[in-house]
Amino acid sequence: VPVSDKPNDLRQWQLPRGRHGLSREVVARSQRERLLAAVVRVTAEKGYEKMAVVDVLDCAAVGRQTFYELFDDRLDCLLAAHELLVDDLAETVGSALEGSGPWPERVRAALAVGLEWLAASPDAAKVMLVELATIGPLARERFQVTFDRFVAMLDEGLQEPGAPADLPNITSLAAAAALIRVYEETANDRATELRSLLPELTFELLVPFVGEDIARETAHGGAD
Amino acid sequence: MREKRSVESERRVLDPKLPLDIGTVAQRQRIVDAMVEACAEKTFAGVTVADIVSGASISRTTFYKHFPDKQTCFDAALDFCVAQLRAVAIEAQAPGDALAEAICKATAAILELLAAYPSLAQFALGEVAVLNPTVLERYRDLAISALESRWLEAGEPRRGTSDPHLAFGRAQVLVFDQLARGRGKQLPELLPEIVYIALLPFAGHDEALQQARSTSQSKPSDGSSGAGVR
Repeated sequence: VPVSDKPNDLRQWQLPRGRHGLSREVVARSQRERLLAAVVRVTAEKGYEKMAVVDVLDCAAVGRQTFYELFDDRLDCLLAAHELLVDDLAETVGSALEGSGPWPERVRAALAVGLEWLAASPDAAKVMLVELATIGPLARERFQVTFDRFVAMLDEGLQEPGAPADLPNITSLAAAAALIRVYEETANDRATELRSLLPELTFELLVPFVGEDIARETAHGGAD
Repeated sequence: MREKRSVESERRVLDPKLPLDIGTVAQRQRIVDAMVEACAEKTFAGVTVADIVSGASISRTTFYKHFPDKQTCFDAALDFCVAQLRAVAIEAQAPGDALAEAICKATAAILELLAAYPSLAQFALGEVAVLNPTVLERYRDLAISALESRWLEAGEPRRGTSDPHLAFGRAQVLVFDQLARGRGKQLPELLPEIVYIALLPFAGHDEALQQARSTSQSKPSDGSSGAGVR
C-alpha cells in the first residue's frame, strides 16, 4: 500500500483496509492522515460548531484511543489539518511564483494554481476560509499568520517600475482583494467555480503595483 | 484630537433623539455595549448570554426583556456600530470640501474612531464578516453606493476599473489584520492605503495613489507613521 509523504494526499486519502503488513509507524502516520482528512471533511459538512470527535472517528475509521494519542481534542486536530493545508497551498503557490519571467505573469500563474488547488478541494477551502473563523479567539492569530504568509509572497511586486514602495501596506490591500473574492465564493458554496475568477483577480491583485493598463493586459493576455 | 468618551456617551452625542424612557434605553445600550466588548474579547462563538449579563451588570431577565436571543442582540450591536461609523464620517466632512478631500477626511475620522474604540473595531470589522455575511453585504452595498453617488454627484467621470465592491473588503481585511496583531491604536497609520482603496474604483490607480501620498505627507510625523505598518 503506497503511503505518500505529500501532505496534500490528505485531500485524497485512501483507507488501507484489512491486513496490510505495514509497520506501526506507517500505520500511525496513515491514521493521523486519515484523521486529518476526516476532520476537514466533517467540518466542511457540518460546520465546526457541530463537528464532534465521534464523527471524525467514524469518517476516518480510527479508534477513539488513537485519536487522543495523536490530538488533545477536536480543535487540536482541526488546527493540525489547517496547518498542513496552508503549508501545501503556500508551497503550491510559492513555487509557481518562482522563476525568471515578468513578475505580473508569474503572479497570474501563481493565482491560477492557487485557485485550481482550492477548486479541487472545496472542503479544504471551506475549512480554511469559512470554518476557521468560528473556532474562537485563536482564529485571529491563525488568520493573521496565514494572511501574512501570502502577503509576503507579493513583496517582490514593490520592485516593479512605478510601484508604490513608499506605501508598504499596498501588498496587503492587493492580497486582500483575492482573499475577499475567494472567501465570498467559498462561503456561498461555489468553491468549485473559483477558476473562473482568474482574470478578475489577476487584475485586482496587480493594479496597486503596476497600474491598470499592465494589470488588464496581464489579466487577459494569458493562454487560457 | 478626539476626546475619549464611553461608547454610550458617544451615542448620546450622535443621536439627539433621546426617547422618553431614558432608563430603559440606557439599559438596552448597556447590553449592546457589553455585547460589543464581549465579542471583541471572545468572538461571537465564545460569547454567552451570561457574559453579556455580567458585562452589562443586569439580570438575565432584563436581557431577555430587551432581546429574544444572543443573535438579535448581536444584530442590534452591529446596527449601533455602523451608525457610529457613519456619523463620524459625515461629521468629518465640510460642505465645501472637494470630493477627494471629503473622502480623506471621512476615512481619517473612521480610523480615529476605530483606534479609540478597539472593541468596536474588532466587532464591526472582525466578527461580523464571519458570522453574518448577508448583513455585511448589506452594509457594504450601502457604503459603496454612497461613495459612488457622491462621485457622480460631483460630476466626476468614473476613471477607475477596479470593482467598487472589493473596496470595502480590502479595507476590512487591512483593519482586521492590524487588529489581529494588536495594533488597534495604530489604525490611523493606514490612512494612505485606505484612501487609495476608496478612490481606486472611481478615480483610477494613478490619482488614487497621488491622493494617498498627499495624506501621508500632510500627516504630522511622529516617527512611527512614516515607516509603514507592516
